[in-house]
Amino acid sequence: MTLSGEAPLTESDWISQARRGDEAAWEALVGAHQAAVFRLAYLFLGDADDAADVAQDAFLRAQRALDRFDTSRPLRPWLLRITANLARNRLRSAGRYLAALQRLLRSEPRPVLRPQAPDSPAADAQTLWLAVRRLNPNEQQVIYLRYFLELSEAEMAAALDIPPGTVKSRLHRALRHLRSVVVDEFPFLREGLVDG
Amino acid sequence: MADGPTSGGPDERLESWLRRTAPALPYPATPNLIRRRPRQRRPAPAWAWAAAILVVALGALLAVPQARAGLVEFLQIGVVRVFLTAPTPTSVTSAATTAPNGTAAATGRTPPTPTASPEPTLLPSLLDLAGRTRLAEARQAVPFPIRLPAYPADLGAPDEVFVQDLDGSAVVLIWRDDTRPDRIRLSLHYLTSPMLGLKGLSEPPESLETALVNGREALWSAGGYVIQIKGGNWDFRRLIEGHVLIWTEDGITLRLETDLPLDEAVRIAESLK
Repeated sequence: MTLSGEAPLTESDWISQARRGDEAAWEALVGAHQAAVFRLAYLFLGDADDAADVAQDAFLRAQRALDRFDTSRPLRPWLLRITANLARNRLRSAGRYLAALQRLLRSEPRPVLRPQAPDSPAADAQTLWLAVRRLNPNEQQVIYLRYFLELSEAEMAAALDIPPGTVKSRLHRALRHLRSVVVDEFPFLREGLVDG
Repeated sequence: MADGPTSGGPDERLESWLRRTAPALPYPATPNLIRRRPRQRRPAPAWAWAAAILVVALGALLAVPQARAGLVEFLQIGVVRVFLTAPTPTSVTSAATTAPNGTAAATGRTPPTPTASPEPTLLPSLLDLAGRTRLAEARQAVPFPIRLPAYPADLGAPDEVFVQDLDGSAVVLIWRDDTRPDRIRLSLHYLTSPMLGLKGLSEPPESLETALVNGREALWSAGGYVIQIKGGNWDFRRLIEGHVLIWTEDGITLRLETDLPLDEAVRIAESLK
C-alpha cells in the first residue's frame, strides 16, 4: 500500500516513522484509514458525533500502542478491531445511554432513517442496516466488516484475531440469523432477496 | 477485495445481494480526525433528562421494594436494565418526607431537592414530546409492526403518535381522556434500543410484582413513586404517576402506562392486534 505524499513509502515505513515521533507520518496513517474506522463506528452506534468520538479514541489508543504493533501486518484490520471494541463498549455504557437521552430532546428528532428515494440502493441499504442491527454484536461485526466495509476474509481474520476458518463459520451463522430476521420482519428486503 | 461465497446454497444468493446492497449505505461525511477537537461534555438541563426518561425508560425504571433498596443490583425486562444503588442519607430523608407513594403529585407538592441539586425538576407532559407524527407515517418509519389494543372496545386509534430514535426506534402512542383532553388516558411505548442502562436512586412505588402477558413474564409497578437519578454532573427527580406494565414481544419491549388495575392492563396488553 502506498500512502499519499511524494515519497512512495510503504505503510510499514510510515509506521516506523510514526514510532519515532514523526507526527506527519502518523497523520498520514490516520488520513488513510479514518474513513473505514469512522464508518465502522457509525455502523455500530448510528450517530455521527458518537462515531467520531470513538474513531478519534481508536486512533489515540492505536498511537499509544503502536510500538507493539507487528509491522508485517496491515494496519487497517488492527484499527478496526480497536474501533469495534470501543464502539461496543460505548453501546454498553451508561454514557451511551445518557447521550441517547440527550438526542431524544432535540426539537426536531433525528429521523429513524436518513431520507432516501424509495426503492433506491441507498434506501435498500438503510433497511438492510436496520435488519443487521437486530443481530447480536458479534454477528453485526462480521457482517459490517464483510459486506459494508468489504473486507476480505483474510482481513477479517486479522481484524477479529481469529483463524480464517472461524471467520467462515461466524459469517455462516450471522447470515443464517440475518436471513431469518429478513424473512420475519423485513418483507421489502425479502422481496429483493427473492428477486436477486 | 471480496472472496467467493462463504457457503453454497441459499447463502450464495444472500451474499450476492448483500454485496450489492450494503456498500450503498449513505454514511455521514467522515470528519477530519486529525484536526477534530474532542467534544466537550456539557450537563444536560434537568428537564431534558426528566422528559427523556419519561418517554423512553424511566417509566420502566422499576423501583425495588424497600427490603432491596440498600442493595446494589439491577432489574431487567426487555431492553431496559435498571441499575440501583443505595440511596444517600440525604435522598432517603427528603424522599421519605415527600412522596413515598405519589401523594406529592396529587397534592401538587414538589419533592424537595437533594442537597447536591439546586432545583427540583419539572417534567413536561408526554404531549410535549418531539417527534409527533401520524400512525400511518410511524408504521412506515419503524421496522416493526405497530399493533393497537383491541381492548377497551371504545379505545380506537391513538390520539397522538411520536416516533423517536434512541439508538433504535421508539414509538409512543397516546390516548387522551375524552372527558379531559389535557389528560392522558393511557400510553403505549414500543422500545427497540439495544441495552439501556441507567444508574440511579429510586424510591419504591406502592408495589412491584411480576405478571404474565401472553404467558411471558412482565413487570408491574403500581402507584406513583419518586425516582432520583444522579450521575456525573446531572441530578434530578421525577414523580411517576399511574401504573406501569412492561413486557416483551418478538424482541420489542412494550410499556403501558395507565390508571387501570393490573388485570385490565394485562387485558389491554394481550389485545394488541
